Amino acid sequence: MPVAPAPAVVDRPTTDETIDPDRPWVVIVWNDPINLMSYVTFVLQKLFGYSLDKATELMLDVHEKGRAVVSNGSREKAELDVFRLHEHGLWATMQQDD
Amino acid sequence: MARWQFRPPVERTKHGFRINIDDHERELVARLLEEMRTLLVGPADNPALARIFPAAYHLPEHAEHDAEYQRLMREELVASRLAGIEVVLEAFGAKPPLTEQQMLALAQALNGLRLVLGTVLDVSEETDPDDIDPEHPLAAEHQLYGFLSWLLEWTVRSLTKA
Repeated sequence: MPVAPAPAVVDRPTTDETIDPDRPWVVIVWNDPINLMSYVTFVLQKLFGYSLDKATELMLDVHEKGRAVVSNGSREKAELDVFRLHEHGLWATMQQDD
Repeated sequence: MARWQFRPPVERTKHGFRINIDDHERELVARLLEEMRTLLVGPADNPALARIFPAAYHLPEHAEHDAEYQRLMREELVASRLAGIEVVLEAFGAKPPLTEQQMLALAQALNGLRLVLGTVLDVSEETDPDDIDPEHPLAAEHQLYGFLSWLLEWTVRSLTKA
Protein backbone atom coordinates (compact mmCIF):
# COMPACT_ATOMS: atom_id res chain seq x y z
CA MET A 1 0.00 0.00 0.00
CA PRO A 2 1.47 3.42 -0.92
CA VAL A 3 2.58 5.66 1.91
CA ALA A 4 0.71 8.95 1.94
CA PRO A 5 2.80 12.05 1.28
CA ALA A 6 3.73 14.19 4.25
CA PRO A 7 0.78 16.34 5.28
CA ALA A 8 0.97 20.03 4.45
CA VAL A 9 -0.28 21.02 7.89
CA VAL A 10 2.32 19.49 10.15
CA ASP A 11 0.67 20.18 13.49
CA ARG A 12 -2.43 18.19 12.60
CA PRO A 13 -1.98 14.55 13.53
CA THR A 14 -2.71 12.10 10.75
CA THR A 15 -3.22 8.37 10.84
CA ASP A 16 0.11 7.73 9.24
CA GLU A 17 2.00 9.34 12.07
CA THR A 18 0.88 6.52 14.32
CA ILE A 19 2.46 3.95 12.03
CA ASP A 20 6.11 3.13 12.37
CA PRO A 21 6.94 0.92 9.39
CA ASP A 22 9.53 -1.00 11.42
CA ARG A 23 7.21 -2.08 14.18
CA PRO A 24 5.68 -5.47 13.34
CA TRP A 25 1.96 -6.04 13.33
CA VAL A 26 0.16 -8.62 15.39
CA VAL A 27 -3.02 -10.45 14.46
CA ILE A 28 -5.41 -10.90 17.36
CA VAL A 29 -8.32 -13.31 17.64
CA TRP A 30 -11.00 -12.15 20.09
CA ASN A 31 -13.33 -14.24 22.17
CA ASP A 32 -16.91 -14.37 20.93
CA PRO A 33 -19.96 -16.29 22.10
CA ILE A 34 -20.73 -17.92 18.76
CA ASN A 35 -17.66 -19.70 17.41
CA LEU A 36 -17.22 -23.25 18.65
CA MET A 37 -14.00 -24.07 20.50
CA SER A 38 -13.38 -27.06 18.24
CA TYR A 39 -13.91 -24.95 15.12
CA VAL A 40 -11.53 -22.20 16.27
CA THR A 41 -8.82 -24.77 17.05
CA PHE A 42 -9.37 -26.41 13.67
CA VAL A 43 -9.13 -23.09 11.77
CA LEU A 44 -5.92 -22.09 13.56
CA GLN A 45 -4.36 -25.43 12.64
CA LYS A 46 -5.49 -25.18 9.05
CA LEU A 47 -4.50 -21.56 8.39
CA PHE A 48 -1.22 -21.38 10.26
CA GLY A 49 -0.08 -25.01 10.31
CA TYR A 50 -0.06 -25.09 14.12
CA SER A 51 0.01 -28.42 15.91
CA LEU A 52 -3.16 -29.49 17.70
CA ASP A 53 -1.46 -28.63 21.03
CA LYS A 54 -0.42 -25.14 19.93
CA ALA A 55 -3.79 -24.38 18.33
CA THR A 56 -5.63 -25.63 21.43
CA GLU A 57 -3.44 -23.46 23.66
CA LEU A 58 -4.22 -20.37 21.55
CA MET A 59 -7.93 -21.20 21.48
CA LEU A 60 -7.97 -21.53 25.29
CA ASP A 61 -6.16 -18.18 25.60
CA VAL A 62 -8.88 -16.60 23.46
CA HIS A 63 -11.58 -18.29 25.51
CA GLU A 64 -10.12 -17.53 28.96
CA LYS A 65 -8.25 -14.24 28.47
CA GLY A 66 -10.52 -12.80 25.82
CA ARG A 67 -7.88 -12.55 23.11
CA ALA A 68 -4.71 -14.12 21.74
CA VAL A 69 -2.08 -13.14 19.23
CA VAL A 70 -2.13 -15.80 16.52
CA SER A 71 0.38 -14.42 14.01
CA ASN A 72 2.58 -11.44 13.30
CA GLY A 73 4.63 -9.84 10.56
CA SER A 74 4.48 -6.99 8.08
CA ARG A 75 1.28 -5.03 7.66
CA GLU A 76 0.59 -6.80 4.35
CA LYS A 77 1.03 -10.24 5.89
CA ALA A 78 -1.10 -9.35 8.91
CA GLU A 79 -3.86 -8.03 6.67
CA LEU A 80 -3.85 -11.22 4.63
CA ASP A 81 -4.01 -13.32 7.81
CA VAL A 82 -6.90 -11.20 9.09
CA PHE A 83 -8.69 -11.70 5.78
CA ARG A 84 -8.24 -15.47 5.90
CA LEU A 85 -9.53 -15.52 9.47
CA HIS A 86 -12.54 -13.43 8.41
CA GLU A 87 -13.15 -15.86 5.55
CA HIS A 88 -13.44 -18.55 8.22
CA GLY A 89 -15.67 -16.44 10.46
CA LEU A 90 -13.23 -15.75 13.27
CA TRP A 91 -13.25 -12.38 14.96
CA ALA A 92 -9.77 -11.15 14.08
CA THR A 93 -8.20 -7.70 14.04
CA MET A 94 -4.68 -6.31 13.79
CA GLN A 95 -2.55 -3.68 15.48
CA GLN A 96 1.10 -2.76 15.72
CA ASP A 97 3.02 -4.59 18.39
CA ASP A 98 3.46 -2.51 21.56
CA MET B 1 -31.75 -59.37 19.29
CA ALA B 2 -31.45 -56.06 17.53
CA ARG B 3 -28.06 -54.56 17.20
CA TRP B 4 -28.00 -50.79 17.31
CA GLN B 5 -24.96 -48.98 16.20
CA PHE B 6 -24.40 -45.26 16.67
CA ARG B 7 -23.92 -43.49 13.39
CA PRO B 8 -22.44 -40.02 13.61
CA PRO B 9 -24.12 -37.33 11.46
CA VAL B 10 -20.82 -36.79 9.66
CA GLU B 11 -18.19 -39.46 9.27
CA ARG B 12 -14.93 -40.03 7.50
CA THR B 13 -14.86 -43.32 5.62
CA LYS B 14 -12.22 -45.05 3.56
CA HIS B 15 -13.57 -43.40 0.43
CA GLY B 16 -14.34 -39.93 1.72
CA PHE B 17 -16.88 -38.23 3.96
CA ARG B 18 -20.49 -39.18 4.51
CA ILE B 19 -23.25 -36.95 5.83
CA ASN B 20 -25.86 -39.07 7.53
CA ILE B 21 -28.62 -36.52 8.01
CA ASP B 22 -32.06 -37.11 6.59
CA ASP B 23 -33.48 -35.41 3.50
CA HIS B 24 -35.52 -32.99 5.55
CA GLU B 25 -32.40 -31.74 7.37
CA ARG B 26 -30.42 -31.61 4.17
CA GLU B 27 -33.10 -29.50 2.51
CA LEU B 28 -33.18 -27.25 5.55
CA VAL B 29 -29.43 -26.57 5.35
CA ALA B 30 -29.68 -25.99 1.59
CA ARG B 31 -32.55 -23.54 2.08
CA LEU B 32 -30.63 -21.64 4.76
CA LEU B 33 -27.62 -21.41 2.47
CA GLU B 34 -29.80 -20.01 -0.29
CA GLU B 35 -31.11 -17.40 2.13
CA MET B 36 -27.53 -16.64 3.13
CA ARG B 37 -26.67 -16.08 -0.50
CA THR B 38 -29.44 -13.48 -0.78
CA LEU B 39 -28.31 -11.84 2.46
CA LEU B 40 -24.68 -11.61 1.29
CA VAL B 41 -25.54 -9.68 -1.85
CA GLY B 42 -28.11 -7.51 -0.07
CA PRO B 43 -27.63 -4.23 1.82
CA ALA B 44 -24.11 -4.01 3.27
CA ASP B 45 -25.22 -2.42 6.53
CA ASN B 46 -27.54 -5.28 7.51
CA PRO B 47 -26.85 -5.75 11.25
CA ALA B 48 -27.27 -9.52 10.85
CA LEU B 49 -24.03 -9.50 8.85
CA ALA B 50 -21.97 -7.75 11.53
CA ARG B 51 -20.01 -10.90 12.38
CA ILE B 52 -19.56 -11.86 8.73
CA PHE B 53 -17.74 -8.58 7.99
CA PRO B 54 -15.89 -7.58 11.15
CA ALA B 55 -13.44 -4.70 11.40
CA ALA B 56 -9.83 -5.55 10.55
CA TYR B 57 -8.32 -2.67 12.53
CA HIS B 58 -9.81 -2.19 16.00
CA LEU B 59 -7.82 0.88 17.13
CA PRO B 60 -9.49 4.23 16.50
CA GLU B 61 -6.26 5.67 15.05
CA HIS B 62 -6.43 3.04 12.31
CA ALA B 63 -9.97 3.90 11.23
CA GLU B 64 -8.79 5.00 7.79
CA HIS B 65 -7.00 1.71 7.26
CA ASP B 66 -10.13 -0.14 8.25
CA ALA B 67 -12.23 1.85 5.80
CA GLU B 68 -9.76 0.91 3.09
CA TYR B 69 -9.79 -2.75 4.14
CA GLN B 70 -13.60 -2.80 4.00
CA ARG B 71 -13.56 -1.13 0.61
CA LEU B 72 -11.02 -3.54 -0.89
CA MET B 73 -11.73 -6.81 0.89
CA ARG B 74 -15.46 -6.91 1.49
CA GLU B 75 -16.21 -7.93 -2.07
CA GLU B 76 -13.56 -10.63 -1.78
CA LEU B 77 -15.19 -11.91 1.38
CA VAL B 78 -18.60 -12.00 -0.29
CA ALA B 79 -17.15 -13.80 -3.33
CA SER B 80 -15.39 -16.32 -1.10
CA ARG B 81 -18.56 -17.02 0.90
CA LEU B 82 -20.69 -17.33 -2.26
CA ALA B 83 -18.19 -19.75 -3.84
CA GLY B 84 -18.21 -21.86 -0.68
CA ILE B 85 -22.01 -22.01 -0.65
CA GLU B 86 -21.97 -23.19 -4.29
CA VAL B 87 -19.55 -25.99 -3.38
CA VAL B 88 -21.81 -27.17 -0.56
CA LEU B 89 -25.04 -27.01 -2.57
CA GLU B 90 -23.39 -28.94 -5.37
CA ALA B 91 -22.02 -31.52 -2.93
CA PHE B 92 -25.48 -31.97 -1.41
CA GLY B 93 -26.92 -32.61 -4.86
CA ALA B 94 -24.22 -35.09 -5.90
CA LYS B 95 -23.72 -38.68 -4.87
CA PRO B 96 -21.71 -39.24 -1.70
CA PRO B 97 -18.98 -39.46 -0.56
CA LEU B 98 -17.81 -35.89 -0.18
CA THR B 99 -14.22 -34.76 -0.61
CA GLU B 100 -12.18 -33.02 2.05
CA GLN B 101 -12.43 -29.76 0.09
CA GLN B 102 -16.22 -30.02 0.07
CA MET B 103 -16.19 -30.71 3.80
CA LEU B 104 -14.06 -27.63 4.46
CA ALA B 105 -16.58 -25.55 2.51
CA LEU B 106 -19.36 -27.14 4.57
CA ALA B 107 -17.64 -26.23 7.85
CA GLN B 108 -17.19 -22.62 6.73
CA ALA B 109 -20.76 -22.37 5.44
CA LEU B 110 -22.30 -23.86 8.60
CA ASN B 111 -20.21 -21.49 10.67
CA GLY B 112 -21.41 -18.57 8.54
CA LEU B 113 -25.03 -19.54 9.20
CA ARG B 114 -24.31 -19.73 12.93
CA LEU B 115 -22.67 -16.30 12.87
CA VAL B 116 -25.78 -14.74 11.33
CA LEU B 117 -28.28 -16.63 13.47
CA GLY B 118 -26.21 -16.14 16.63
CA THR B 119 -26.05 -12.40 15.94
CA VAL B 120 -29.79 -12.15 15.35
CA LEU B 121 -30.49 -14.17 18.51
CA ASP B 122 -27.82 -12.27 20.43
CA VAL B 123 -26.53 -15.49 22.01
CA SER B 124 -24.11 -15.51 24.92
CA GLU B 125 -21.61 -18.20 25.90
CA GLU B 126 -24.18 -19.43 28.39
CA THR B 127 -27.04 -19.76 25.90
CA ASP B 128 -28.04 -23.40 25.70
CA PRO B 129 -30.60 -24.11 22.96
CA ASP B 130 -31.91 -27.01 25.05
CA ASP B 131 -32.83 -24.61 27.88
CA ILE B 132 -34.88 -22.23 25.74
CA ASP B 133 -38.50 -22.08 26.82
CA PRO B 134 -40.63 -23.67 24.05
CA GLU B 135 -42.95 -20.67 24.42
CA HIS B 136 -40.08 -18.29 23.60
CA PRO B 137 -40.99 -16.32 20.45
CA LEU B 138 -37.69 -17.36 18.85
CA ALA B 139 -37.67 -20.93 20.20
CA ALA B 140 -37.57 -22.40 16.69
CA GLU B 141 -34.59 -20.25 15.72
CA HIS B 142 -32.75 -21.25 18.90
CA GLN B 143 -33.42 -24.87 18.06
CA LEU B 144 -32.10 -24.30 14.56
CA TYR B 145 -28.97 -22.70 15.99
CA GLY B 146 -28.47 -25.75 18.18
CA PHE B 147 -28.88 -28.05 15.18
CA LEU B 148 -26.27 -26.10 13.17
CA SER B 149 -23.85 -26.19 16.12
CA TRP B 150 -24.30 -29.94 16.43
CA LEU B 151 -23.72 -30.49 12.72
CA LEU B 152 -20.67 -28.22 12.64
CA GLU B 153 -19.18 -29.91 15.70
CA TRP B 154 -19.41 -33.28 13.97
CA THR B 155 -18.11 -31.84 10.71
CA VAL B 156 -15.02 -30.48 12.48
CA ARG B 157 -14.60 -33.74 14.35
CA SER B 158 -14.61 -35.72 11.12
CA LEU B 159 -12.04 -33.39 9.58
CA THR B 160 -9.80 -33.39 12.64
CA LYS B 161 -9.56 -37.15 13.03
CA ALA B 162 -6.77 -38.16 10.67
